[in-house]
Amino acid sequence: MKSIKNIFSNNETCSAYLFNLPTIISALVFIFLPVIGTLITSLFRDVTYLPGKFLWFSNYERLFADPHFWQSVNFTLLFVIVSVVLELFFGLIFALVLNEAIPGRGFLRIAILVPWAIPVAISARVWQLIYHFDYGLLNFIFMKLGISNTHINWLGSSSGAFISIVISDVWKTTPFMTIILLAGLSTIPRVLYKQAEIDGTNFLQRFFRITFPLLKPVIVVALLFRTIDAIRIFDLIYVLTGGGPGGSTTSISLYAYNYFVSGDFGYGSAVSVIVFILAAMLALLYIRFGRFGEVIK
Amino acid sequence: MAKKIFIQLAFILFLLTSCQTKSDKEFTVWIGGAPQEIDFWQKLIDDYNRQSGNNAILVRQPTYTDQRRQSLIISLEAKQPNPDLFLMDVVWIDQFAKSNWLEPLNKYIERDNYSTDNFFGRVINSVDKFEGNIYALPVFMDIGLLYYRKDLLKKYGFSAPPQTWKQLVDEAVLIQKKERERNKNFNGFVWQGAQYEGLICNFLEFITSHGGSVMNNGKIWSNTPANVEALKFMHDLLYKYKISPPNTFTEIKEEEVRRSFQNGNALFERNWTYAWNQHQSSGSSVKGKIGIAQLPHKEGFGSTSALGGWHVGMSEYSDVKNEAWDFIKFITSFKTQEKLLLNVGWNPGRKDVYHDSVLLNQIPRLKILYEVFNHSVSRPVIPYYAQVSEAMQRYVNNCLANKISPADALKELQKQINKVTAIYEEH
Repeated sequence: MKSIKNIFSNNETCSAYLFNLPTIISALVFIFLPVIGTLITSLFRDVTYLPGKFLWFSNYERLFADPHFWQSVNFTLLFVIVSVVLELFFGLIFALVLNEAIPGRGFLRIAILVPWAIPVAISARVWQLIYHFDYGLLNFIFMKLGISNTHINWLGSSSGAFISIVISDVWKTTPFMTIILLAGLSTIPRVLYKQAEIDGTNFLQRFFRITFPLLKPVIVVALLFRTIDAIRIFDLIYVLTGGGPGGSTTSISLYAYNYFVSGDFGYGSAVSVIVFILAAMLALLYIRFGRFGEVIK
Repeated sequence: MAKKIFIQLAFILFLLTSCQTKSDKEFTVWIGGAPQEIDFWQKLIDDYNRQSGNNAILVRQPTYTDQRRQSLIISLEAKQPNPDLFLMDVVWIDQFAKSNWLEPLNKYIERDNYSTDNFFGRVINSVDKFEGNIYALPVFMDIGLLYYRKDLLKKYGFSAPPQTWKQLVDEAVLIQKKERERNKNFNGFVWQGAQYEGLICNFLEFITSHGGSVMNNGKIWSNTPANVEALKFMHDLLYKYKISPPNTFTEIKEEEVRRSFQNGNALFERNWTYAWNQHQSSGSSVKGKIGIAQLPHKEGFGSTSALGGWHVGMSEYSDVKNEAWDFIKFITSFKTQEKLLLNVGWNPGRKDVYHDSVLLNQIPRLKILYEVFNHSVSRPVIPYYAQVSEAMQRYVNNCLANKISPADALKELQKQINKVTAIYEEH
């Protein structure tokens, strides 16, 4: 009792809470409420043309019994793992290169941002033209170089479509990784490297002893952002394959979208809750194993 | 991200529009389409406002069908007085009507002695009418057609377009072989096979012209011998006769097919009616060399074509229903339907336009269109059509991708459809 009184009688604490109030309110209204709303809707039969009914967890039972849902979960998780790892790998390389004093660095830093600045739907359309069977750039190059003597249907098999989607996504979002890592790199004092050089270390030693440990919190943040973003992948697939061939590239968000568009809000909400839980679990994992809090301290 | 912003913007706009108080006789009409189509609608609506003294306001809907549906569902589910009138894709009408979003038009029709005989009975009865109530009227009718290259058929000694699928295959195999000596990209027959709604229209045409069907006694049957045969035929077009491009099942939708035919790379094309004006435009390499016909059929059965198009409906929550009905009468009138046909190529929902001798002289293809509309088939008229269609798209596309046999695809599809039916049928 006394302690609470103390907190609020303390003028400084009180104004701190006041300053935080707008953030807390907007987080409540725009994040917490919709999540709760979706959770509640997911327990109902909410179909436009049927009377509403409280179902307990039937929507979830139906979800777990649908092989196409599991297919979309598998696809999404595989996509997240492959694309995020590749993006981290390339992003790190680009960031390390751009952090060095190379000629034309300013131009390169801007150039590398271009894919990130293009709306996803448009870059997906561009990639669609690259992969196109008849007049796509890729088939043109393959034919000219004599690698293949017939046109290849890149999006025609499940694995082909998967790889095509991953390549497009890596091209699109590696710049994001690069920028965040570059920001992290620029905070590492140059003096450390100078000192290490005097001590006679080689490049790899400097990377693993200095760069990597100091960059780790930034890497965790970048991975966190990208993973949560990737798990909700929608627009790229919607434009590039529409979930085909034969539904093999349906992401969880696309799966949910199909139900929202057709007016089954209860089931669509249940799928969204699963996406939310998956993303939240991955975020917790990162924070836990990235020892995020400790490093920041 | 872009989508999120779009939805937020849409929501803000939606709040703004719904906050406005409407004056008397003011109503909104939600219409979507290509930019020049909407511009023409604006002109029509200006004319209407001048004539009637009412104030109709055009709200432009997104170009994509899915997004139009989404924005309508959001407003109607929220029981908003806007929109008052809107255009619906034929396959939404049942869901919208069963969701109690549509005002039955019967009382207005009876009050004004408005004749619905002017419309195609086959269309009205299959998609606009439920349990004796009329919920919508056709504004623009669309249908699947066979486009063919007159010059090529003549060059190889064929006098008329193929009547049966067998004739189509024979002619396409022969001509494709010869033409490929000149043009490596030449294909015998192009149609829509990507995983999307258009595939179901093509599938429906193939199965019904093989004597199959999807709806029987209110139940959906996919796994019948005729349907399996039709799907096998679709599969054969890609893998046995090889007259359809091998990427038919990946990226081929209407526009891909239209471009390929228009560039002179195809002998036969299955497409909607809009392709005609494009093929005949200046700059098209097939201008003046093409004809349209009914789609072929299997020997012993009849031709069929999938029905598409946009029908006008009135919102149950509209607060100016009499004025809205007046506008429906205006856009379904002979005059307006004629204008839509002449200016933006929208095929009229009214029969009398197809019989008008002046128009027939100007647009001879109306005669064929009339015939084709009389052989139209509609996609299953059920409120949960979207779920059924989604399952169909996956299995049919998977079969075209050569990953599952036609028989197995339809067997699996039937199981899936039974599940969907069990969930959405009221008990």
